[in-house]
Amino acid sequence: MIENSFNRRDFLKVLGWGGTAVALSGCGNTSIQDGVETVVSYVEPPEYAIPGISVYFNSTCAQCDAGCNITGRLREGRVLKLEGNPNSVINHGKLCGLGQAGVQAHYNPDRVREPLLRNGDKGEVIAWDKALGLINEKLSGVKGDEIAFLTGGLSGHVKVLLNNYLEALGSKNHYAYEAVSPSVVRAANKKAYGVEMPRLRLDKAKVVVSFGADFLGAWVSPVNFSQQYAKFRKADENGRGVLVQIESKMTLTGANADRWIVIRPGTEGILALGIVNALGASGVSLPADVAAVSKAYSSERVSKDTGVPAEQIEKLAALLKERSPSLVITGSAAEGYAHGSQNAAAIALLNRVLGNIGKTIEAPANVPFPQVAVTTGNRSSVQALNDSLANGKIKVLFSYGTNPVFTAPTALKFKENLGKVPFKIAFAHYLDETSREADLVLPLDSALEDWGTSVPEYLGEASQLSIQQPLMEKLHPNTKGLGDILLALLKQRREKEYKDYEDFYSYLRSAVVKNKSALGGSGEDDDTFWTNTLSNGIVPFSASSNNLSAKSSAAGLVLPPPADENSGYPLHLIPSVTASLRDGRHANQPWLQESPDPLTTIVWDSWVELHPKTAAKLGIVEGDIVEVTSRSGSVKAQAYLFPGIHPDAVSIPLGNGHVALGRWAKDVGVNAFGILDQVVDKETGELALNETRVKISKTGKRVFIVKDEGAVGGSQAGVKIAVRVSTDDVELSGEV
Amino acid sequence: MEKDIRESIEWAKINGDVLKSLESPRPLFWVILVIALSMFGVGLGCEIYQYQIGMGVANLNNPQVWGLYIATFIFWIGMSHSGTLLSAILHLMHADWRKPIYRFAEAMTTFSLMTAGLFVMVHLGRLWQFYYAIPYPSERWVWPNFQSPLLWDAMAIFTYLSSSVIFLFIGMIPDLAICRDHLHPGWRKSLYTVLSLGWEGTDRQWRNFRMTYLTVACFLIPLAVSVHSIVASDFAMSQQPGWHVTSFPPYFVAGALYSGCAAIITLFVILRYVFKFEEYMTLPILKKIVRLTFAIAMVWTYLNAVEFASVWYSHDEASKAVLIQKATGIYAPFWWMMNFCGSVVPFVMMIKRLQTNIPVMFAVSLLLNLGMWLERWMIVSPTFSHGYYPYLWDNNQWPTLVQWGIVFGSFGWFTLLFMGFCKLFPSVSMYEVKEMVYHRSLALKHTERNLAVNATELAEKGAH
Amino acid sequence: MSVSNMLENWSKFRHMHPVDDKPHEEYKWAMAIDLDACSGCNACSVACYAENNLPVVGKQKFDAGQQMHWMRIERYWDDDGREFPDQGAQFMPMLCQQCEAAPCETVCPVGATNHTADGLNSQVYNRCIGSRYCSANCPFKVRYFNWYDYPTTDNVWPAEMTQQLNPDVTVRGKGVMEKCTFCVQRLERAKNNARTEGRLVHDGEVQTACQQACPTSAITFGNLVEPESKVAKKWAHQQVELAAKDVQAKDEQEGGSDLRGYRIFEELRAYPSVMYLERVRESAI
Repeated sequence: MIENSFNRRDFLKVLGWGGTAVALSGCGNTSIQDGVETVVSYVEPPEYAIPGISVYFNSTCAQCDAGCNITGRLREGRVLKLEGNPNSVINHGKLCGLGQAGVQAHYNPDRVREPLLRNGDKGEVIAWDKALGLINEKLSGVKGDEIAFLTGGLSGHVKVLLNNYLEALGSKNHYAYEAVSPSVVRAANKKAYGVEMPRLRLDKAKVVVSFGADFLGAWVSPVNFSQQYAKFRKADENGRGVLVQIESKMTLTGANADRWIVIRPGTEGILALGIVNALGASGVSLPADVAAVSKAYSSERVSKDTGVPAEQIEKLAALLKERSPSLVITGSAAEGYAHGSQNAAAIALLNRVLGNIGKTIEAPANVPFPQVAVTTGNRSSVQALNDSLANGKIKVLFSYGTNPVFTAPTALKFKENLGKVPFKIAFAHYLDETSREADLVLPLDSALEDWGTSVPEYLGEASQLSIQQPLMEKLHPNTKGLGDILLALLKQRREKEYKDYEDFYSYLRSAVVKNKSALGGSGEDDDTFWTNTLSNGIVPFSASSNNLSAKSSAAGLVLPPPADENSGYPLHLIPSVTASLRDGRHANQPWLQESPDPLTTIVWDSWVELHPKTAAKLGIVEGDIVEVTSRSGSVKAQAYLFPGIHPDAVSIPLGNGHVALGRWAKDVGVNAFGILDQVVDKETGELALNETRVKISKTGKRVFIVKDEGAVGGSQAGVKIAVRVSTDDVELSGEV
Repeated sequence: MEKDIRESIEWAKINGDVLKSLESPRPLFWVILVIALSMFGVGLGCEIYQYQIGMGVANLNNPQVWGLYIATFIFWIGMSHSGTLLSAILHLMHADWRKPIYRFAEAMTTFSLMTAGLFVMVHLGRLWQFYYAIPYPSERWVWPNFQSPLLWDAMAIFTYLSSSVIFLFIGMIPDLAICRDHLHPGWRKSLYTVLSLGWEGTDRQWRNFRMTYLTVACFLIPLAVSVHSIVASDFAMSQQPGWHVTSFPPYFVAGALYSGCAAIITLFVILRYVFKFEEYMTLPILKKIVRLTFAIAMVWTYLNAVEFASVWYSHDEASKAVLIQKATGIYAPFWWMMNFCGSVVPFVMMIKRLQTNIPVMFAVSLLLNLGMWLERWMIVSPTFSHGYYPYLWDNNQWPTLVQWGIVFGSFGWFTLLFMGFCKLFPSVSMYEVKEMVYHRSLALKHTERNLAVNATELAEKGAH
Repeated sequence: MSVSNMLENWSKFRHMHPVDDKPHEEYKWAMAIDLDACSGCNACSVACYAENNLPVVGKQKFDAGQQMHWMRIERYWDDDGREFPDQGAQFMPMLCQQCEAAPCETVCPVGATNHTADGLNSQVYNRCIGSRYCSANCPFKVRYFNWYDYPTTDNVWPAEMTQQLNPDVTVRGKGVMEKCTFCVQRLERAKNNARTEGRLVHDGEVQTACQQACPTSAITFGNLVEPESKVAKKWAHQQVELAAKDVQAKDEQEGGSDLRGYRIFEELRAYPSVMYLERVRESAI
């Protein structure tokens, strides 16, 4: 129930910490155990604040790039729990575990609370005006191309201000860096379909073949895809959807597949061409360029190269031919190689051949305001930044929302190069590995305390402007919103332009209200429109989408043969991105550390997954501490025998291994990012995450793995617990 | 043939020998008391630690929610059946050889029950609220749950404890009178004066005494059987595999009698040596108790086999799996040791030569009780580690030193109580021994007279 | 006087569920979980932590098996010795089944766990003395005991994190048993609101935290007694009866059943209120 008849700002002011006549139980200085509380009755309670009754406000989740819309439940002025906003076209009222942990990011005791200025090895508290003044000072005399701004993916009005600020500084050096982004897939999609991320219609597909895209777990927009997946699985007039997952290491999505096909690492493109060949052989008409490229990929040859049995290839082709429309998705597994773009291009051919384009691959909705649209992050940006840092070109570096000292491969020597920058400013929530290196740390409001707008990276059925509004008053008086800081910095450069804006809120309000006619508010007065906007938390864009068509030709597509066995480093390292930890920024949220990894049930640690056959060959049993060594470094972690991985591959989850960030992240697990070899995709220059080769050796130590499953691991020991039935034996029609 | 007791013991000597045991203790007594006190201290320390921090320090978890506390609780309840067996059951069977030894057995019963009661408290997560389990008209209008076997436990044990105390006390009244009359003035004399309730030994008093004693004995026997059956139903009434066995009540009672008899042997040997009670706790009596123990051992073995067989030939896959786990899984060494101590070691007691060999019998009795303690543990833990739900099967959860410490401490507590009893109250029943001596000497006179008559007749016949 | 209270209420105090003469009247909360839709993402488990003030126990206590997740997602592999799990894995969200004939209810010595009129298995924290018999008797092992005093343990709810705690749910101290309550606090609020308006709770008006979070909507929750509710329709279509003895009628027919609804440990006659729908795997691939 959203109350419309009040002024949001007043509400916060009244309930704010400045007011003395406020009744707040359980905020700040209470102890549950001995029940010590300071309770003072309201002198003049606002009419909507009834003790014991929850109030709900809408905002936007900031835990990952999907940008789902959330509804926060508040009691007595503090946010307790986040739910999905039912009106969101992204998540339709649902919220994943990572999103739920947003409250832990907000209430986290390890948040930075004061601006800190470096003094030797320590950070000393400094006042805001001094901090901002210092920035101005350090920027004077510095040329535009000596200033750089490092962020993650960015959208909304913060992006506008950022761009304006960079412009005011005369700098074009905005590096948007995301360590686990599907950047090769984006480039390949652009070539194949004309858009970076088309709208994927799982709900319309009868068959989904995913080459390692973990769309139920950590890929692009998991909550959105999960809901489509639910529709996909329902036995409607299309019948029940069939999911085939092809990858070298089982992801969460792979665990849900009807058929999980294990494939030799890197040979996804070869398999795709093999399926094209098989389709052609079974009578599907192939365009000339496609036929030419796929001619050499007979099932026998492909089977030899990929390890996938020929019958399986043919069965898959038969299924795809029979059940149309289908949907073929390229994921991180396929793109993470030096020939990742070629893999992706080959896989995209399947969609073309199967006629999926326009049916299950549609254009995303347009964003009519490009200045707020998403600037996606990728990995090549940090490589470019690193080069600039190494050359000593950068004199002032701003960083926000990214942790390259943790996520960049050690081979880049990023931390060392960072040291060459005379003045580094970090906008940070935590003192993580990167912000620890800064000279000035500016503490940010948490995502639940801040104002902002965003546009989701993945646009499904419609595009929208998501509103981010504070769900409660600031926890720590000296943090500031990113928008407010940027505005203050802008005012240093362009006083006149921004003098009308008291703070970021007023800037935001005026920017949104200014365009109200384009945003569906033409009939309303400004105040009503703004109140409704905040109340809904979502401003839909009424924008059409274009038609998609297949763009690129297959001519010139060359796939390299399968990688040689490298005797020094015989195994492929496939680092995995888990839904909870992703690139590691959430490692200090204890719910996520305590939440068992869905596939291994391991908690509070890292592990090395290897196939039981590989383990037997090497004499490794579960719990052995093994050393995984690449050409770039080594880590030691506990070995876990996992049947869902290619015998020539091992997998270490990304995200743990922090040495800073906070009490629940520090010294938990090992950092697999560090040992990645600096090998890039030839076409895009993106770091190829799966190209690292490693060797494994036992260290002689053994531990008991801390995991949720019991002594018999994943066995049901003959007891009827989780039952599976074949489509032949079950009657799904008529299910309610 | 050795006699159970020498018929010519003077009553004064009986008094003297037993009252001597109440004299100021020798240094060894104090040494053992200090050891017992420190054992108890260890247990107390562990319990305080556990009370402050939480049950987690005992290394209990999901699914292993019960550990050594419940196992030892049942063990102590089991030990308590010794006294009832000896005093009540054998009394009704007119087995008068029990007379010199039943007093300390009855004391052992009472103190075992008190020790078991400790474990009920120690095992609770919120022991400061244990009184919720007591059926009193509370202001919350809430009664305990009478459907729960744990509550039946609480009722039964309390009843049994109070009845045992009454039985022990009543049985001691004539002896307390003797103590009162023979000891020098002091706090002890006043204590005995109060406790002996003005006993003068008149006919009327003796008649009333006999009736009361008999009544309480008859009351106590079904109580003993029911108490351990109720404790058994903690497991039998649950549907967990390995527990849901109908033969558990008699199995537990048999195990209890077994435990108790073994403990009687242990204490028999100790008291005989310490107080020089060789005249009273004679070797023939030892032989009898040993043979009784053996008989009960065979009953227990049979019921054990019944449990295994009924599971093995059933279709209850989960229970079968638990049985196989017990024999082959992580608890296998303990399970096999239990079977060895419980079913194989008793056969030593069939070797006539060894039946009166004190060191051997002492060792055997300790092994038997070890077996019985292991039996209780093997009932509790394997079912948790291998229950219905495979995801929760747990192969690596062992008790911590906190649990062992408290178990260890309970033996110290028991020893403290028992040693206190032996120094304060006569551990051999003087009046009953006098009765025994009297009846035996009467019987002897009868026999001698008959023999003399027969000899005379024979002689007369022969003379012709 | 409480003796008369006891005598008067004895028949209601320990009534076996379900029975023909005393079926649930207004509400009987039940759940249906579709294992084919469940993706194993653990969103429900984390949502439950947030809603019900569950403590994070940390690595050492998790290792000791003392974790507190009321909803746990189990992961199973096929047991047929294949080299790779080429039909994926099985995920099983396991929570308190709110059994109608709960083995835990009868054995609590102090009556801290009982059956409510709306069909829930209640856990009364302030009555619990921690004997743990209920957990010993639970076949699903879904009861979790507070082995430590988490409110006073370091790094469980440090500093500001206490503000996240849901004031509608007790924060448990050491020594008490806890388990999933079907978000009884939400149910109570919904029932109160409905009662104020003179009606019953509509289907979908109240959601459990896990149901609300689940991205694939695998969890259906509602009032089994209301025939138009989603959950009642699901149970009816799957022909799963609340009070089936040992085996569902549909499974006794010739050739078994081609419906995929089932309950776990049906043969123990605990009458769980959670029905699972079997996971489906395509035979054509």
